[in-house]
Amino acid sequence: MIGSFRKKGLVAASAIVAIAGLALSAVPAQAAEVGVTATSIKIGTTVPLTGIAGPGYAKVAPAMKAYFDYVNANGGINGRKIEFIIKDDRYLPPVSVEKTNELILKDKVFATVGQLGTANNLAINSRVRLGSRGVPSLFVNTGFSGFADKKKFPTLFPLFSSYRMEAKIMGGYIKENFAGKKIGLIYQNDDFGADALKGFESAGVKFDVSIPYVSGTQGAATATTWIQKLAAAKVEVVYIFGVTTATAAAVGVAFAAGYKPQWIFGSVGADATTIVGQTTVPVALLNGALSMSFMPDAADTTDEYVKFFREVNTTYNNNATFDNNIMAGMNGAMMVAQALKAAGPNPTRKGLIAAIESKGSTFASAGYPPIGFSATSRVGYTGFWIGKYNQTGSLIPVEAKGTIYTTDSANGPVVKTTSKRPALPTKGLPN
Amino acid sequence: MLKRKHEESSKREHNPYRRRILFFLLLGWALLLLGDRVSELRVYQGALIAIYALAIGSLILLTGYSGQLSLGQGAFMAIGAYAAALTQIYLQPPIIITFISAVVVAALFGAIIGGGAARLSGPYLAGTTLALALGLPTLANLFSFLGGETGLYFDVGIAPERFGSEFTLYKWFFWIAALATLIMLFFIQNILKSRYGRAWKAGRSNPAAAQLVGLHVGRRKVLAFTISAGVAGLAGALLGMVSLVAPSTFTLSLSFAIITGAVLAGLTSLTGSILGGLVLVIIPEIAEMVSGNFGESEAVRANIPGLITSLLLILTVLFTPNGPAEQWHHHKEKKKQKAVEKQKN
Repeated sequence: MIGSFRKKGLVAASAIVAIAGLALSAVPAQAAEVGVTATSIKIGTTVPLTGIAGPGYAKVAPAMKAYFDYVNANGGINGRKIEFIIKDDRYLPPVSVEKTNELILKDKVFATVGQLGTANNLAINSRVRLGSRGVPSLFVNTGFSGFADKKKFPTLFPLFSSYRMEAKIMGGYIKENFAGKKIGLIYQNDDFGADALKGFESAGVKFDVSIPYVSGTQGAATATTWIQKLAAAKVEVVYIFGVTTATAAAVGVAFAAGYKPQWIFGSVGADATTIVGQTTVPVALLNGALSMSFMPDAADTTDEYVKFFREVNTTYNNNATFDNNIMAGMNGAMMVAQALKAAGPNPTRKGLIAAIESKGSTFASAGYPPIGFSATSRVGYTGFWIGKYNQTGSLIPVEAKGTIYTTDSANGPVVKTTSKRPALPTKGLPN
Repeated sequence: MLKRKHEESSKREHNPYRRRILFFLLLGWALLLLGDRVSELRVYQGALIAIYALAIGSLILLTGYSGQLSLGQGAFMAIGAYAAALTQIYLQPPIIITFISAVVVAALFGAIIGGGAARLSGPYLAGTTLALALGLPTLANLFSFLGGETGLYFDVGIAPERFGSEFTLYKWFFWIAALATLIMLFFIQNILKSRYGRAWKAGRSNPAAAQLVGLHVGRRKVLAFTISAGVAGLAGALLGMVSLVAPSTFTLSLSFAIITGAVLAGLTSLTGSILGGLVLVIIPEIAEMVSGNFGESEAVRANIPGLITSLLLILTVLFTPNGPAEQWHHHKEKKKQKAVEKQKN
């Protein structure tokens, strides 16, 4: 008889559930701290390796791994090798949640590091609740200013200068240099973009045309509608505050349509290698486009950090095409290594957080602006330098090298100052 | 006296309704005990198994019984999830009301869509529901109050304090999901056993004959669509509780996973829905174990779950077309018949 709900069948099914559950539940004996053994420290990340934001950002985690491999080859951290697990979340928040659950519950990592994306990190923290679990989330790859809220995110440390700071600083530059011109903005319509809008508001910048886009839709078809709108409104300056694939899509479509505004690329979407790699745009056409960064440009081989990271990239990253994504990955990894070292010979999750709070602001890193970590502050880098792309796609400072603008993620002033970055540690290893 | 007692106990044994209640109570109790004895990862996976089982149950009702092939259960799950999230965010009622709202709203959509779908069948219905699964969740990107791709946080809060500090968030999710699933499967089971269930089967097997005996096949189909959508809506709300209420939670691949689970479980066997849920959660686990033998090739790793699923589907269709539960029953029936024949001889 079809479909009858039979007792025996059900008992069999429930027995299978029970047996499978019990069989799968064998939990190995735990060390003193989750993810830490006498010889290893296990950490993990979720990043887009594939999917719409994959191009460019897929290079971040392998670059982190390359630096960790370098550290391991040089003795590890206090005698422990770093075991680094990378999970592909395709830049989709629900997948980030799923993969972080795997990292925390299955792989049992000591900490998560460098997880990428504003919406992704917001989802992770609201669903997996890293804070209430006491799992450190170090140096996330997003500039959303809200992550500096220690009460909301007690175990999270953002590293990037915030989008709000960026919008404030570039907002001031726009007012000074493009007064009277028609200005347009393309931005990601989520907390990432909303953070920037607050910064523009603080700077008092108004855009003649504002185009929000939904994350995941930034292809050539959508970009065509952006460019049509901007060209029809005769916009002369276009600021793209989105991921690199959005920048690439907009620049590619504009190039094909013969539309040539003054481009301004938001810092996280400004990697020239990715933009050119994703389009048919000759790199020379980026010449004159403005952008901002808190790191040295990947092409600046006179910078000691860039030089060092390039060496690590050659040996430990299969000599991948070196760009800002690789720089960001290695720089974050270098910060992680110093944090693990600072946590002492018997690292605990609480000890790790305390170590970053007390010593994090003095960690050596490639970033030019000061780092704001303290017992009361979770603010990472606190500013940017402004640059213009040249013929070969390198970002050249518009002022003297080392000139930076610092500010906060509220209504504080923008201050022009000079970078006092710590020197590269011996062999690029944590002291 | 003894005779009366024997009659009563025999009545009890043959009262399927009472037996079903007893079974579901026992299953609930077993799950409760299990929840206390496994790691947090297993509890989390247990919640997912319950959610998938419920979604598969909704499809078994619709496809297995009423004969309507739906490729769009994910869309109804999305409707339920968004309804629950919006109810929770804007009205903050008790959790049970939130889940009821998910069922009601999804059922309403089901009734509307079912009205049209009742006129379609076979590939036309499959195509329509496929379009629904593809298009509906992305509507969230058009209306800012639906949270775009970032989605909405449907927060049921942490477990009541009286459960103790050791009661983890995922155990709380597991309790909610398992309880909701057990109640709904019990409800579906009773419907399937009622005259509605028999009418659906009649309409599915031979619509003309069903109409001849006075059944309004179209109306029954709409009813099946409505109930199925309501149940799927609840599964969606539960999935939103564990994951996120975002378009990327309710993708086309979720709809396909539900169908896969239903086929593996046996489309006409509600019993198998739990097994189907279990398989859907276990496949990635097995895939990970297997992929360990293929080094670090992402291309291989990414395709192993698909390969395992396809293999399982082929094997199921070849050897247990009605699902393992149904096969098991046939096996037992045959054994019984043989035993009876032996006795006769």
